[in-house]
Amino acid sequence: METLGDDGIGIGSGGESDKERQEETEEEAALLRDRLLLSVISIASSHAKTLGMTISEPVVACIADLAFKQAEQMGRDVELFAQHAGRKSVNMEDVILSAHRNEHLMGLLRDFAQELKGKEPCTERKRTKKALKNENKVQEPIEMLD
Amino acid sequence: MEENFDPDLIHAIFKLVWSRRNKKVEGNQGIHLEGGAGTSKKTRATTANASALKVSCELLRLFVAEAIQRAALIAEAEGIDIIEPTHLERVLPQLLLDF
Repeated sequence: METLGDDGIGIGSGGESDKERQEETEEEAALLRDRLLLSVISIASSHAKTLGMTISEPVVACIADLAFKQAEQMGRDVELFAQHAGRKSVNMEDVILSAHRNEHLMGLLRDFAQELKGKEPCTERKRTKKALKNENKVQEPIEMLD
Repeated sequence: MEENFDPDLIHAIFKLVWSRRNKKVEGNQGIHLEGGAGTSKKTRATTANASALKVSCELLRLFVAEAIQRAALIAEAEGIDIIEPTHLERVLPQLLLDF
């Protein structure tokens, strides 16, 4: 009986070169999985500490595997959203949209994104004298209304 | 204290996913455009900007944190202070629906 289960890797049109490429992608994927596992171990242990609990190894491995699958799914989603918008480059809004299943989560990400936006102008552009003058001008009318 | 994923790692995973899809798409195009005189349109690979990667890292971190927090609640309710696979099992369906 056939199901819609994904086999994970794209089906090649046969031939040796395709098999080689598939092996390469599998090796790359394995390497990335290991790197992700290391990151998950550190994030998981520090988070569990704050909760005053310990995590067993199989749980961490499971979460790392899930995180990898989530990352893959996220990659596919944001690529589709960007293409749908006629862009080649994925931006923050695409990522935020990919979390649409949970309103709370989306809100958290929007706040995070706002913070990022707020930080960038300070580090990238120098505050010019004109900008400072404009800020002072904005304050004056409010005082006059009082 | 705020630990997070490495944006480069997430970028690498995305690139892997995108190149897989690209190969699929190119494969399909090849079947249709066989008659053309070498005018194969190389679909430019998708890219991501730096802030998008940071937000993705945050999203994945929230996923991991949420998984641990929910599983920890179950473990606490049982009076155990080690998070076991059975605890994770019970929170998995709702977790995957939320993300």
